[in-house]
Amino acid sequence: MRLSRRRVLKSLAATGAAAASPGVFMPALAQTGPLKIGILAPRTGIAASAGISGLAATEWAVEKFNAGGGIAGRKIQLVVEEETSPKDTIERFQKLVQQEKVECVMGIVSTGVGLALGPVVEEARALTIYWDGTTQDGVDEKLLNPKYLFRSTDNECEAVMSSLLAIKHWKGQFKRIAGINPDYSYGRNNMAAFIALLKRFDIEHEVVTEQWPKVGTMELTSHVAALKAANPDLIFSSLLFADLPVFMKQAHAADLTKGTKLVFPAAGWQHTLMKKDFTPEGMIFGHNTLYFDNPQATPMQKEFVAWYAEKQKDYPNWEADRAYFAIASYKEAVEKASKAKSGQWPGVDDVIGAMHGLSVESLGGKGGWRKDNIADQTFVQGFSTHNNKYDFVTLDPAKIETMYSADLQKPPGAKFWDWLKTAQFKI
Amino acid sequence: MSLIANLLLGGIFHAAVLFLVAAGLQLVFGVQKIVNLACGSFYALGAYFGITLVTLAMNFGLPAWLLLPILLVAGVLMAAVGPPIERLLRTVYDRDESFQLLLTFALVLMFQDVLRLVWGANPQSLNNVHLVYGKLTWGDLSVPVYNLLVIAAAGATAFFISLFLRRTNYGRLLRATAENRAMAEALGVNVRSVYAVVFTLGTMLGTVGGALVVPTSAASLDMAIEFVIEAFAVVVIGGLGSMPGALVGALLVGLIRAASLVVYPEFEILAIYVIVIAVLLFRPSGLLGKAAT
Repeated sequence: MRLSRRRVLKSLAATGAAAASPGVFMPALAQTGPLKIGILAPRTGIAASAGISGLAATEWAVEKFNAGGGIAGRKIQLVVEEETSPKDTIERFQKLVQQEKVECVMGIVSTGVGLALGPVVEEARALTIYWDGTTQDGVDEKLLNPKYLFRSTDNECEAVMSSLLAIKHWKGQFKRIAGINPDYSYGRNNMAAFIALLKRFDIEHEVVTEQWPKVGTMELTSHVAALKAANPDLIFSSLLFADLPVFMKQAHAADLTKGTKLVFPAAGWQHTLMKKDFTPEGMIFGHNTLYFDNPQATPMQKEFVAWYAEKQKDYPNWEADRAYFAIASYKEAVEKASKAKSGQWPGVDDVIGAMHGLSVESLGGKGGWRKDNIADQTFVQGFSTHNNKYDFVTLDPAKIETMYSADLQKPPGAKFWDWLKTAQFKI
Repeated sequence: MSLIANLLLGGIFHAAVLFLVAAGLQLVFGVQKIVNLACGSFYALGAYFGITLVTLAMNFGLPAWLLLPILLVAGVLMAAVGPPIERLLRTVYDRDESFQLLLTFALVLMFQDVLRLVWGANPQSLNNVHLVYGKLTWGDLSVPVYNLLVIAAAGATAFFISLFLRRTNYGRLLRATAENRAMAEALGVNVRSVYAVVFTLGTMLGTVGGALVVPTSAASLDMAIEFVIEAFAVVVIGGLGSMPGALVGALLVGLIRAASLVVYPEFEILAIYVIVIAVLLFRPSGLLGKAAT
């Protein structure tokens, strides 16, 4: 074969392109030495508490897995980077994949960041597992059929569950409904899902006011006054940052919570700040995929909660479960794929194939991955009670409800808003 | 009737909170001509330290009715961060405004990390201790007396600052320095000392504001940025550097926001910034600010 300059350049370009594709080269090069896993989590700003909760759970898992030999015989080494703006997070993701040569990236709490990062993940062909941030609008349009990206359960699951609980327990007891939800896709979708389900079940209702404070608003007295002026029978709220306890405190001071039914699907993100002093009993309170005080908790959950309480002087929220679920399912998938290859280290496609159909015992209950790379997990909600040893509300043990996300999120290929109109819900 | 009273009180309370943040910003700009973005960080610092001091005091068995003086002490103590920061700002007094903005914004980010290191990433909150002063109930109206005390504190702050600036010798000195720094220096005024005092006072307004408000609210890492944006709307409307302007601006923002939340909640933010734009177009110096000469 005659070597022309053009042929040499073509070969070099092809080699360069292949070397730049982590999905192609990485598994073969990285079969020995520690197994690097990249984490992208917020540690400052509004979502810092979620990021730190997730990081703590990841570290706990790594400690346990490494003590048992790591993943398929390789010890795990975490490389932690910050989740901030979409642009900066994408740069850090690329650093993790290209420079640090991690074999899997986990993390991401914000829907906005997740949406921006999704196409980059696919282009890089780097296995990535999101902890959170799968809000319908945008996901439907921008992240169709990803291969390398595994996303959390739909963010609307908790709103669907709370709505079903409100309908089941309070049908006929409310007509005038009000909402106070954060002014971004998550808050808007949750309120819309609640109203859609009321219509779906022919619940007579009148929306008397919808308040949309921007995320993290710390002074809500005017919103409370506006809600009070509307005189609602029921308030639906997906506030979930520091604004949630602020709202509850100011609503309590204005007597807004007295006699009003409260549906708070995401309250569990701030559960330790929901003090008994100002959080009433009997509200529908969502803990999402981890209720730290679950009487049905597995020994593993109990061990984790005790460790977390000791180390963080706090009790974990659902982001800890999402993070544990991500790393535990990656471990299961790698080991399953490795076994199928007679102990050889699997390639990224083998791991992806092994993820589908997995059943993993996570901190908050069982979970798994669907064929469309969406997680299925166990959700816990219930009615708040003061009858506990803490200074904040927990769930009334006699009224805890547990649902699997297969009953709360749209099936693969369906459109969320269409699915809400026709789904067969088990209430 | 109680509906209107509820809305008015909600709006005025919000205005009081905004005024406490904006007052420090106004004072520092008025005299030192520095747009201090870090005023929001002082507010956050006061809030966090207020929670710590109140928690400590309650653990030591101090009665709950001492809440207000304890919070005032917390705010005053935290003003101690003012002088070293003013010392840092001296490096940019004579430089372009963009350097000042960059430096004070850097301080906002650094404070956020300091707060996280000291108090952790989780938001901090007190229980309902502020209800120790009782609630004012009238028909459908129910408002904590503590909220009225915060409104009164904001009013008193405006009154005493005005009195200090207009009726005391040191106040006249500050105004003279604000009017013409070179002339004040030539007449023997120690401008460095004046700047240090003004900046510490501005810091104290922020830290006391944060400490006073936190029992009704919570402290979180991003609170500095949240309030500083709205505080800027207040100073643009009222007039940069004008203390009465800050009061009027805060009242306008608070009341417009409260009204829009009832009439059309989607306009909550829009309503405020439409007014900001109108002021910038038709009266760029603000409602009570001095036109540039």
